[in-house]
Amino acid sequence: MHVPDGLMDPLVAALGWVEFAVVAAVALWLSRSRIAEKDLPRIAVLSAGIFVAQMLNFPIGGGTTGHLIGAALFAIMAGPVTAIIGMTVILLIQALIFGDGGLTAFGLNALNMAVIAPLTGWGVYTLLRPFAGGDETETSPFTGFGPVIAGIAAWTSVFVAASACAVELSLSYAVSSGTYGIASTIAIPAMLGYHALIGVGEAAITVGVAAYLWKVSPGAFARPVTEKPAAGLARVMYSRTVQAAIAVLVVFALALPLYFVYSSEGEDGLERTMSDAGADDGEPLLSAPLDYGEDYIAALLAGMFGFVATSLAALGVLSVLRSRASRAG
Amino acid sequence: MAALDMRDLGFRYDDGTEAIKGLTLSVAQGERVAVVGPNGAGKSTLLHLIAGFRMPFSGDLTVMGKRLDKNSADGLRRHMGLLFQDPDDQIFMPTVEEDAAFGPVNLGLEDIPGRVARALRSTGTEHLAKRPPQRLSFGMRKRVAIAGILAMDPGILLLDEPTSGLDPRSRSQLIALLKGMRQTMVIATHDLEAAAELADRAVVLNVRPVAEGTIRQIVSDRAVLEGAGLEMPTLPKLLGRLEEMGYPVESLPVTMEQALAEISRMVEREAERRSG
Amino acid sequence: MTMVLGHIKGQHFRAHHIDEHARSSWLWRLDARAKLVGVLAFVVAAALMTRPELVLASLCLALLMAASSMIPASHLARAYLAAAPFILIASLSVGLYGGLGKGLAMAARTSACVIALLVLASGTETFALFAGLRRLRVPALVTTLLMLTYKFILLLGEELSRMMVARKARGFRTGRSLADRYGLKVLSYTAGMVLVRASGRADRTYEGLKSRGFEKDFTGWRSVGVRAVDWAFLAVLIAASASLVLFQLEVVAWPLST
Repeated sequence: MHVPDGLMDPLVAALGWVEFAVVAAVALWLSRSRIAEKDLPRIAVLSAGIFVAQMLNFPIGGGTTGHLIGAALFAIMAGPVTAIIGMTVILLIQALIFGDGGLTAFGLNALNMAVIAPLTGWGVYTLLRPFAGGDETETSPFTGFGPVIAGIAAWTSVFVAASACAVELSLSYAVSSGTYGIASTIAIPAMLGYHALIGVGEAAITVGVAAYLWKVSPGAFARPVTEKPAAGLARVMYSRTVQAAIAVLVVFALALPLYFVYSSEGEDGLERTMSDAGADDGEPLLSAPLDYGEDYIAALLAGMFGFVATSLAALGVLSVLRSRASRAG
Repeated sequence: MAALDMRDLGFRYDDGTEAIKGLTLSVAQGERVAVVGPNGAGKSTLLHLIAGFRMPFSGDLTVMGKRLDKNSADGLRRHMGLLFQDPDDQIFMPTVEEDAAFGPVNLGLEDIPGRVARALRSTGTEHLAKRPPQRLSFGMRKRVAIAGILAMDPGILLLDEPTSGLDPRSRSQLIALLKGMRQTMVIATHDLEAAAELADRAVVLNVRPVAEGTIRQIVSDRAVLEGAGLEMPTLPKLLGRLEEMGYPVESLPVTMEQALAEISRMVEREAERRSG
Repeated sequence: MTMVLGHIKGQHFRAHHIDEHARSSWLWRLDARAKLVGVLAFVVAAALMTRPELVLASLCLALLMAASSMIPASHLARAYLAAAPFILIASLSVGLYGGLGKGLAMAARTSACVIALLVLASGTETFALFAGLRRLRVPALVTTLLMLTYKFILLLGEELSRMMVARKARGFRTGRSLADRYGLKVLSYTAGMVLVRASGRADRTYEGLKSRGFEKDFTGWRSVGVRAVDWAFLAVLIAASASLVLFQLEVVAWPLST
């Protein structure tokens, strides 16, 4: 999913940079209280480990291969803030040392793989974990149905990140009247289909690695226990469930600016392309299925919003029912 | 003022097992003390503790007259050069000379090029100055690590198994190198022969201190060796067997010189006996 | 040769060799900051190009940079191949819907950017690059993590190669598909093993750093001042980038007729 420069529409790329910069600034600010000097080598090792793990190809079938992103694993092991920073470091190394992934596109790449992927993975994991057995404070991915949850979280992180990338590509295409990006009719099915498969591999590997680590060194999952604040906003924020819900909401809030851009420029761009179609230099081999294009993006975004809203509502209801039950029982 | 002064030192790991207990030891400036014992006996832990990496510990430790605790650790560490068992744990820079400069730069010391040059020269690594350390042999990497420490001019050297993993030639070269140095040294090792060549005095540590004396004295005490799970090195073993065969030995030697002296005496006595 | 393993199956990890490569070139000796800023400017400009003549111009400039950098072509070609899939798909899709012209423009534009970035990546010593970032005010947390992570990547890569060889020596062959549960299991256990071995290292590395006076930040390194040649390099790249942008925005008319 490492997008090179020159592929995304400059406006979309710039927007990506802005969004990423904001998230990065927040993450760095939060890290001041959470990351001490002595944590640095451990975080670096985890980043290095996931970097190397990303290089392991796994076969998807039919001779194609996919590879790991590792964001969910990172977040489950080290928490969201550290995961964001760690994944960003990985992407920086990949871009600056290996030339994998562009500089102008870095904002979007980082948004997809270093923000959306870990936040989604962590959010899903944290929200679903209490339902998977073990006690209230259980955070290990390996008791009860923990592994299943970790797997679901991993798959979701890949799928959502891929969706974001697909949206960005489609948006670039629409906004630039077909000069940048990839048409949504190709981008969305291709990205989603391919990554739905990769996600399965990612889920399996995430569960496998977590299992191995849990067996060999459970301490790897330990995170410092902080004091529960007395009252007020801080106390509300202390709840991991709240944090996780916020994480998921943030992910989808990131889509909002993109949607605004789409609705203001995208549709015009598409119309322009329609009228330009005849006047192009080369002959279009396929006539641009622009109606489908519009519908694809809008449908995808609407679908995602709807899904998330419904899920959160459902989880909220389930949580209430559960705490009622445990109080009664 | 002693370089290091330990009183009833003790340390437990996170899981509760004891690593060190009841160690009282004083090391004078310029003195070289070996800490010998089997693997897992706490020798490494002791060195790391002295360097301020194992807190909290029980007992007292003063370095150059100052007490070691959480606050003073970073400052006191400047006086010490800790050589890790695995050189890769302390080599960071892309070239040998930059790595040698790493310590001095971090500490803000003066005359960095001079320090680096001297450190490389004394460890015989000048010809490797521009090379990346990762590609060098283990023995060379150990030397690079030593250069890195020497460049900081520490008053106290803490050497963790300096000869382990070295081929025989590198080992002798390293021993010769260390012999020529002036700093206070604490050498943790299970290489008794190296310890004998380098150290004035030795402490046998098996979580608790088991014995103290010269290596020669320690080697002669079989009970101590047994109890500490140490194996007698070849030279004393050989002379021990000769003794059993009827050739008395003044005391079991550990170094080549000592062995030669004993054997010369043996040969002379034998010659006298035959002629007389 | 550097390999971006993710796209090229079954190759060995050889990050060490990246730095070996370009040590001979003039590019190598330039200040990292000049290279970072200069290449960034160029890439931004090149990404904005849509007119065919300008896209071509930026591609030529990128190739010129590559050629003069004296980085072996095979090395660059191999790394370029790693980005190829995305470029190909994008160009095809744009070409199919928007015509050959746009498709080619997409291919040329992305290629120009990728090539420029590869020149930066291969033409700069890794540590210098990170130090340069720090001097450009990137937060210490990030640059310190970059350096530590890179160091661990090298170490882990070696361990992984050894582990894969050991695995092969015991008859393991990667599976056919996702349905191969055993294959995936071994894969994830290998990954797990790599991580476990690494975290022991991490703690010792922290002590290794502290024992040599490290305090949270790698600044103070390589404080070589910026020299005239660095400024010159930067100026050339900025001028080229600015010109491209001016032509694209039609602030200045392109002299050659199309």
